Amino acid sequence: MPRKLTASVPVALVLALAGAGTAFAAPGGLGPPGPETPSGQAISRLYWIVLGLCAVVFVLVETALILFIVRFRRRRDTPESAEGPQIHGNTRLEIIWTAIPAILLAALAIFTFTQIPAVQAQGVADEAHLTIRVEAHQFYWEYRYPGGEVTVDTLYLPVDEPVELRLTGMDVIHSWWVPALTGKMDAIPGRINTLRFVPDTTGDFDGKCAELCGVQHAFMPTTVTVLDQSEYESTLASQQEELGKATWEGACATCHGLDGQGDVGPAIAGNGTLSNPEALRTLLLNGQNTPQYDYYMPPVGRGWPPEQFEALIAYIKSSKTLSTAPAPTTTGGGG
Amino acid sequence: MATRSEAMAPTWKEGSVTSWLTTVDHKRIGILYLVTSFAFFGAAGLMAMLMRIQLSHANAGFLTKGAYNEVVTMHGTAMVFLFVVPVLAGFGNYLVPLMIGARDMAFPRLNAASYWLFLLGGLVLLSSFLADQGGAQCGWTSYTPCSSEEFSPGHGQDLWILGIHLTGISSILGAINFIVTIHNMRAPGMTWMRIPLFTWAIEAYSVLLVLVLPTIAAAATLLLLDRQAGTTFFAPEDGGPILWQHMFWFFGHPEVYIMVLPAMGIISEVIPVFSRKPIFGYKAVAFSTIGIAFASMLVWAHHMFTVGMPTYLQAFFAATSLTVAVPTSVKIFNWLATLWRGNLIFRAPLMFALGFIGLFTIGGLTGIMLAVFPFDYQAHDSYFVVAHMHYVLFGGTVFGVFAGVYYWFPKITGRMYNERLAQIHFWILFVGFNLAFLPQHLLGLMGMQRRIYTYTQGGIFEWYNVISSIGALLMGVAMLVFLWNAVGSWRSGRRVGPDPWGADTLEWYASSPPAPNNFDSVPYVTSARPLRDLRLRLRLQERET
Repeated sequence: MPRKLTASVPVALVLALAGAGTAFAAPGGLGPPGPETPSGQAISRLYWIVLGLCAVVFVLVETALILFIVRFRRRRDTPESAEGPQIHGNTRLEIIWTAIPAILLAALAIFTFTQIPAVQAQGVADEAHLTIRVEAHQFYWEYRYPGGEVTVDTLYLPVDEPVELRLTGMDVIHSWWVPALTGKMDAIPGRINTLRFVPDTTGDFDGKCAELCGVQHAFMPTTVTVLDQSEYESTLASQQEELGKATWEGACATCHGLDGQGDVGPAIAGNGTLSNPEALRTLLLNGQNTPQYDYYMPPVGRGWPPEQFEALIAYIKSSKTLSTAPAPTTTGGGG
Repeated sequence: MATRSEAMAPTWKEGSVTSWLTTVDHKRIGILYLVTSFAFFGAAGLMAMLMRIQLSHANAGFLTKGAYNEVVTMHGTAMVFLFVVPVLAGFGNYLVPLMIGARDMAFPRLNAASYWLFLLGGLVLLSSFLADQGGAQCGWTSYTPCSSEEFSPGHGQDLWILGIHLTGISSILGAINFIVTIHNMRAPGMTWMRIPLFTWAIEAYSVLLVLVLPTIAAAATLLLLDRQAGTTFFAPEDGGPILWQHMFWFFGHPEVYIMVLPAMGIISEVIPVFSRKPIFGYKAVAFSTIGIAFASMLVWAHHMFTVGMPTYLQAFFAATSLTVAVPTSVKIFNWLATLWRGNLIFRAPLMFALGFIGLFTIGGLTGIMLAVFPFDYQAHDSYFVVAHMHYVLFGGTVFGVFAGVYYWFPKITGRMYNERLAQIHFWILFVGFNLAFLPQHLLGLMGMQRRIYTYTQGGIFEWYNVISSIGALLMGVAMLVFLWNAVGSWRSGRRVGPDPWGADTLEWYASSPPAPNNFDSVPYVTSARPLRDLRLRLRLQERET
C-alpha cells in the first residue's frame, strides 16, 4: 500500500537523522558538550534523564499516531460517509491520562530541585575560592583578578580551585557561555550575577557570547585556560606585559581590523586620534555615533583601570602601521 | 432581519475596490485579514530564506552583519505580529459568527478599524528597514539597553515600537469584539457546552490578548519615552534591563499560547469531521484550553532562567511551566482517541492536522526539557531553543493554519482546492520542515548560539547547517505549490455546495460562500454538532415519507 509507505517516511527520516547524529557527532550534538566540571556533569546527567523520559513519551505518542493512521484509514469498500462508533468520551480513561503526566512531571520537578546545589556549585560559596570580575563589553570580555591583574578575552584559572565569577555588562546585555565548563550566565548592566564552578581539568575551553549584543555578536569569543597552580601565577604575570596588545586585539581590532584597516568600523590606521592620548581616552570612554557610518562606536573603555589606557597607548605607539599616517592617495577629492 | 441586509446593500457592489475598502462584513474583513497576513507571511518567510542562505556554510558573506541582525529582528516580529496572530484573527473573523449562528460580529465598524490598524501597523513595522542607520536590530524581544537610544541610534527601533503599538491596538479591539460576540450572539440553544471547539479557542485567545497586550503596549511606550523624551524607565542603574524582560515576557509567553490555542481549535474541528466521529471528551478539550490559557500567564520568567533570578523563583517558574504540559497532553490523548476506530479520510485538512499532532508533540517535549532549568542553562539562547520554538509555532501552529485553510477553502471561496497539489504541498513541507529544524536541536547542543550571522566551524557542524538550509528552501518550494493551488482553485476550482465534507458545525449550514447576511434562519441547536443532528433528522424524515 502506498499509504503505508508514505506513513513510514517521517519515521525513517527521524531515525536516519538521529542515526547520522550519533554516527558523526557523538557525544557532541546528542548531549550537552563534554562536561569538564562537576556542575557541568550534573547538568548532563539531568539532560540524559529528562531526554529518556521524553523519548519514551515521544515513542508512545508517535507510535499510536502511526498505528491509528494505518489501522483506521478508510478502506476502499467503506463509503466516505460511513461513521465510526459515536464514542463521546470516557471519564475514567481521561482521569488516568491526566493523572499519569501530572505524577511524572511532579517527580521530574522534585528530582530537578534536588540537583540544584550540584548544578549551581553552591558549595563554592562556603569554601576558599577565587573571585574574578567579568566585565562584558561590545565586543570583548574583560577579566579582573583579585591582585589587580587584567586580561582580555582569555580567562586564566588555576586547576581544582573553586571559582566565583561576578559578571556584569558594561554597555548592553551579554551572556557568558563556556559550554564545556558549565551553563551560561547573563552579564547585565547595573547588576552583578554570580556563576560558580570548580575547573578540575587543565586545558583550553572555548566560549562565546550567547545574548544578541550588536553587530559583532557572532564574534565575541572567549577562552578559559585552566593551568596548574604554579603555571597560573607566572602566566597571569606575563600576560600583564601583553595587556596593550590584548586590548587592541580584543577591544579595537574586532571592528577596525587587526591593522586598523577597517571592517564594520572605519579604517583608523594612522588616524590622529590614535596618537592623541587625551582625545583617545575621551573617545574610548564615551563612544561616538557618526550618522554617516552604519554603526556607532561603543564606549569600549568604560571601567578600564589607568594602566590599561597606558598599555594601549604604548602598544599603538610601538606599532608602525597604527601610528603612522597612511600615504595620501592620489585619486579622489581629498585634501 | 431582511431590513438589515437591505440596509447594507449599497456597500455590496461585487468586484468594486471601494466595496472592499468600506466593508464592515465580517466575512470580507476575515478574507482581508487572511490574504494580508499571508502576504506578510511571504515577506517574513523570504527573510528566513535569506538567513538560511547566509548560514548555509561557514564564514559566508551573503548578508552584511548589520543586515543579518535586522532580518533576524524583523523575521521574528513579523511572523508573530503580522502573520500568526492576524491570520488567526482572520479565521476567527470569518468563522466565529458563522459557527455560532450570528449574522455578523457584535461591532462591525470596530472590526473594520481592527483590520485597517493591522495593515497600517504592518507597513509601519516593515518601514523600519528604510530608517536612517538601519532597521531595528535587537531581535523580536528588543531587550534594553540594546534597544536604547545609546545602542540603537536612528529611527529603526522607534518604527518597530510604533508598529507594535498599532498592531497591538488592532488586536485588543479585535479581541474585545470576539468576546462580546461569543458571549452575546450565539444561536438559540447554543449553550457554552455546545459551541464549536474552535470558538472556545478564540474565546481563550481573545481573553489572553486583552489581559497581556496592554503590558507590551506599556513597555513599548516607556521605551519610546526613554528614547525620545529622555526618561529613564529602563536605565541599567535602576534594574531597567530586567524590568523590560519581565514586561516583555509577561506578554510574550501568553502570546505563544495566543498563537497555539486557535490552531489547536482548528485541529479539534478537523479531526472529528475527517474521522467521522465526535471529538473524544468535548469537555476535557474545552477545559484544557482554559487550563492552558490560565497556566500560560504564570510561566513567563522561564525565558529568564539565566538572568540571575533567585533559585526559588526559578524553581517556581519551572514547576508552573511543567504544569502546562498536563492540559496539553490531555489534548493530544483526546485527539488520538478521536482517531481511534474512526473512518479516516485522508484529505489535506486531516493530513495537516495529523502533522500538527506529530510535530507539536516534539515541540512540547523539548519544552519540558527546557523547563528543567539546569538544562536550560546550557540550551538557553542556543539553536536548541530555535528548534523547539519552530516545532511549536511552525510544526504546530502553521500546520494547524494550513489544515484550516484547506478545510474552510470551499466555504470561503465556494470552490474546492486541488487535492493532489495540496498533498504535494503537505509532503514537501513536512520533509522540508524536519530537515530544517531537526538538525538545529543538535546544533544547539554543539554550542551554536542564536542570532549569529555566521560561524567558523566546519565538519558535522557545517553539515547540519547545510541540511537545515536545504530544508528551508524546500519549505519555500512548498509555499509556492500552496500559492499556485490557492490562486488557481479560487479562480477556477470545482464549485461546491454548502457542506462538501459532511461536517458538524453551523458554518456549513450557510451557502458556500455564505450570503451577506449569513443565514435567513438557524436551526435550534441541541448539541455540539448541530449539522449532523440536522442530517440525521432529514434522513429520518425521508425514511418516514
